[in-house]
Amino acid sequence: MTRELTGSEAAALAEALVPGSVDRTTETACYLKPDRLVETLRALRDDPDANLVHLTNLCGVDYWDHFEVVYHIQSFEKNHLACFKVEAWGRENPEVPSVTPVFHGAWMQECEAYDLFGIRFAGHPNLYRILLWEGYPGWPLRKDFLAMPGGLQPGLGEFAGVAPRQEPPVKVIE
Amino acid sequence: MTGIIKSEPFVINIGPQHPSTHGVFRIKATVDGEKVIDAEMVMGYLHRSMEKLAEERTYTQNIPFTDRTDYLSSMSNNLGYCLAVEKLAGIEVPPRGNAIRVIMAELQRLASHCMAIGAFANDTGAWQTPVMWAFREREKILDIFEVTSGARLTCNYMRIGGVAFDLRPEFEPMVRRILRDFPPFLDEMEGLLSGNEIFIARTRGVGVLTPEMATNASLSGPMLRGSGIAWDIRKADPYCGYEQYDFDIPIGYNGDSYDRFIVRLEEMRQSLKIIQQALDGLPGGPFRTEVPLALRPPKGEAYARIESPRGELGYYLVSDEGPSPYRFHIRPPSFINLSALKEMTVGGTVADAIVVLGSIDIVVGEIDR
Repeated sequence: MTRELTGSEAAALAEALVPGSVDRTTETACYLKPDRLVETLRALRDDPDANLVHLTNLCGVDYWDHFEVVYHIQSFEKNHLACFKVEAWGRENPEVPSVTPVFHGAWMQECEAYDLFGIRFAGHPNLYRILLWEGYPGWPLRKDFLAMPGGLQPGLGEFAGVAPRQEPPVKVIE
Repeated sequence: MTGIIKSEPFVINIGPQHPSTHGVFRIKATVDGEKVIDAEMVMGYLHRSMEKLAEERTYTQNIPFTDRTDYLSSMSNNLGYCLAVEKLAGIEVPPRGNAIRVIMAELQRLASHCMAIGAFANDTGAWQTPVMWAFREREKILDIFEVTSGARLTCNYMRIGGVAFDLRPEFEPMVRRILRDFPPFLDEMEGLLSGNEIFIARTRGVGVLTPEMATNASLSGPMLRGSGIAWDIRKADPYCGYEQYDFDIPIGYNGDSYDRFIVRLEEMRQSLKIIQQALDGLPGGPFRTEVPLALRPPKGEAYARIESPRGELGYYLVSDEGPSPYRFHIRPPSFINLSALKEMTVGGTVADAIVVLGSIDIVVGEIDR
């Protein structure tokens, strides 16, 4: 079984290699400081104990007041999987450093996160809207997409971020 | 030759409407003579914003969406999503449910690899015969899906906590017939293609990936195993009781298109082995645990992955205790397997680019979601 590292285990690995890189930890994830991100992930990739060589998954999440970028990185030899996160504050121009110098596989996934969330990845060689077209209004996976200026106008009733969420007609079976 | 013929580089579009792109996908290739010197991918023609749609629907209502991402392996996609929800909500699946899931996922792998190999042979110039042979066998598997779930392609058969229906009495004889008929078909296919001189000339040494490059580009599935890394999530991180079954991980050594083809062919033999074991030891009892229709998993996040026919298929879910996921992210194997497309095509000819794309085995519904 792949061992999923807890937040504090991942933080211990990161802190041992790059002191001062960890912001805080939760049960499942380790939050890294954005300015130390690339350095830390490179050290974790090259260190034989951590051996986090395969960036499996990269995605963004919108939490209204900030964005998170989630990195799931795994090791083939040690068979473990660690979850790192960085936060980007502000809705106008959220920015995190790009990890493409460390993992080539981040190239397309960062383009996707930029396309759908508007998170800029500083240092990405060619950040463009990979799924939608240039000039598409707004960032679709943001929670306030339909209320954005220039965004699509709601025509189907209530949407998240515009009105309180309605309960589905199905009742919970206890 | 006394002088050098000067040529100007120019751009040609392979796709979006081109049989070798297996959907609507475009490679903007800059060519110098017949040599590709730059390749750029253009995608998004099939973008349906599934991740946004899923945020407005309940966990159960999202299962049919997952069929439509990778429409050639809908069972695997259902399974990956259901596993993520089960991990998030802490739901146990009864042993019979797990065994049925394994059989379905492996049958789906057979069907999907049939398509991959047939279409790959088509791309290399073995016009129509291999693809028809592969489709003939794939039809029999789709018939099994139809008997069990009522649909051939978009099965929508897995449920959170198990599967939708129990197996019908026709199921077992139909699968036994597959187990009997498939090995001769694979031998036939291998005899037709793997020793074929033209096929070898078209695929050997084309699109070579070193293990380091494959790892760094986040590749998974037959792409990674073709480069010689024995990484299979069914072995490394078993789900649905895969640890009970005896099977091997086929790997390639050269990392070229031919090795990826051989890996797929051999994987089909291993899948048959798994189906045989699962069918022989199919446990009785319930096939599903009862789960509330409007499920509200506790606050948190979960990342669950499976070995889909194309590679690591992951679902990342975030719950805010609501009836629908706060964030629903798919880690699509075809999309990320394209990361190394430029490295594999640049330096080869245009005809090689087609072979490389065929060996990646993309499904555009999954790339664009």
